[in-house]
Parts: sequence; structure tokens; C-alpha cells
Amino acid sequence: MAQLGTVYNLFFRRNYAMLATVFTTAFAWEMLYDNTMNKVWDNINKGRQWKDIRQKYIQGADDE
Amino acid sequence: MAPLTTLARAAVRSSAAASLPVRALSTSAACSVAASGTTSPSYSSPFKGAQKSTQVPDFSHYMAKSSGSTNQLFGYFMVGTLGAISAAGAKSTIQEFLKNMAASADVLAMAKVEVDLAAIPEGKNVIIKWRGKPVFIRHRTQGEIEEANKVNVSALRDPQADEDRVKKPEWLVMLGVCTHLGCVPIGEAGDFGGWFCPCHGSHYDISGRIRKGPAPLNLEIPVYDFPEDDKLVIG
Repeated sequence: MAQLGTVYNLFFRRNYAMLATVFTTAFAWEMLYDNTMNKVWDNINKGRQWKDIRQKYIQGADDE
Repeated sequence: MAPLTTLARAAVRSSAAASLPVRALSTSAACSVAASGTTSPSYSSPFKGAQKSTQVPDFSHYMAKSSGSTNQLFGYFMVGTLGAISAAGAKSTIQEFLKNMAASADVLAMAKVEVDLAAIPEGKNVIIKWRGKPVFIRHRTQGEIEEANKVNVSALRDPQADEDRVKKPEWLVMLGVCTHLGCVPIGEAGDFGGWFCPCHGSHYDISGRIRKGPAPLNLEIPVYDFPEDDKLVIG
């Protein structure tokens, strides 16, 4: 109960603190969401994208 | 409310003996509570005879068992989460919309041209294609640079000094499109030792400035840079 009060006092009590919390969360959440969705996309299209088949066509692909 | 309370306080201050004005005021029950000074939360309606229907129900069954701050915290948490997701969504929408207007990768790949200057001997012209247009690069000799600087700038149709048209005096880089009607001028030709447009007879000098003929402006200078000594990047 006490730590809940701390959370409230720290993040929600003042408007600027709440706004800062919201925008920071939005930033972090967006990165997380984008990464997750890109991974999902890559997983669904595995073996079909250029980065998957590149080494079959370009010699020394590891150089770049 | 404020004037009423002050009035009530004043009434209390004027002692219980003069209770008549207090009674007179207490047509409203809330006021009588404030005047008597007790903090009892009970509410008694001033309207007699209608007690049953005006009684405030007991809401204690519906009230939160905990202190209430948990609910408050949960409420703010949900508001904040919705705000965060909306902010991320709004930002993403605007960003993707603006990205839509940016140049695509194939356009960006064509936007710059790199030229190896070591392959161009002194006194020679090179024409390369840049964004679908020809670009003249001339490695000028010392004599040509002096000739370009000797010209009386104020007498020109489009007055421009030679040092304003070049970054390095030995390298003249300009768009090979005649400013008259867009033909491609011929190099090392014309009356002024520079370029000559065969379409309508415009003569450009060794700095690409219009000297004779119908063209109104000097040959255009593209954006270019020398990242290294022997390398030229146009665009």
C-alpha cells in the first residue's frame, strides 16, 4: 500500500510529472512495439526477403 | 457559499442569546449544521412530510473496501496508458505521413554523382550525366583562369565574377543546359573560347557566362563539393 502511494506521488500527482511519464512511456513503448512487429514480420516472411537470400547471389556478402 | 458561511459565523459569534436570526436563516438544513458548528454528516431535509422518497440511500455496500487510493492509482494508470498509446500512435501517423513525402531510395541513389578528377587532363572538357542533365567539367589551364578573371564583370549581361562561379579556379563545374531554350552547348567553340549553343547561337566564355546571343543568364552552377583532392561529388 505504501509503495502504491509512492508511485502515485511520484508519477501522477503533478501534471508535469504525469505528462513526462506518459511521453517517456510512449517513447519506450513505441520502440518495443516496432521491434516486436518487425520481428513478427521477419518471422512470417522468413526466407523470402533480400537479406535472407543475399548471400546466394553476392559473393563475399560478409564483407559488408 | 462563502458569504453564507461568513454570515453563519457572524451569527454564531453574536452569541446564542440572539438565536433569532440563526433560526430565521435556517431554512436550509445545511446552513443549520454549519451554524450549530457540529460536523455530523447526516442530512435532514427541511421539507417535512416527504421523508421516505427523499432519503439518501445507503451506498456503503458499493463503496471500495480498500482505502480508495488503489482505485485512484488504477484510474490514473489507465488514463496514462491510453495517453501513451495515443501519443505513440499520433507520432507514428505523422512520421509515416511525412516519410511518404521524402525521396525514395532509388531517387537518392541517383541524386549524387562522383567523378574522379585525376582522369581529366588540363584543358579538357568532360560531360557527365547527372539527374538526367549533362554536366560540364572543365579542367582549366592557368591561362584560361586569367582570361576569365580579366573580363570586365559590370559589362556582362549577367554580371558574375569568376570566383563566384567556381570553388577551385582550375575546376569549372556547371550544368550543360543553355539558359535560352535548354539545348546542350558545344564545348571549346564560339567567339569567346568557351561554349557555343548551336540552336540559337549563344556564346559562353571560359567561365560559362553568357557573352553573345539570345540566352539571358550564365550557365547554371550545380551544388558540388570536393571531399578529397582528386574527387568531385555533384549533388
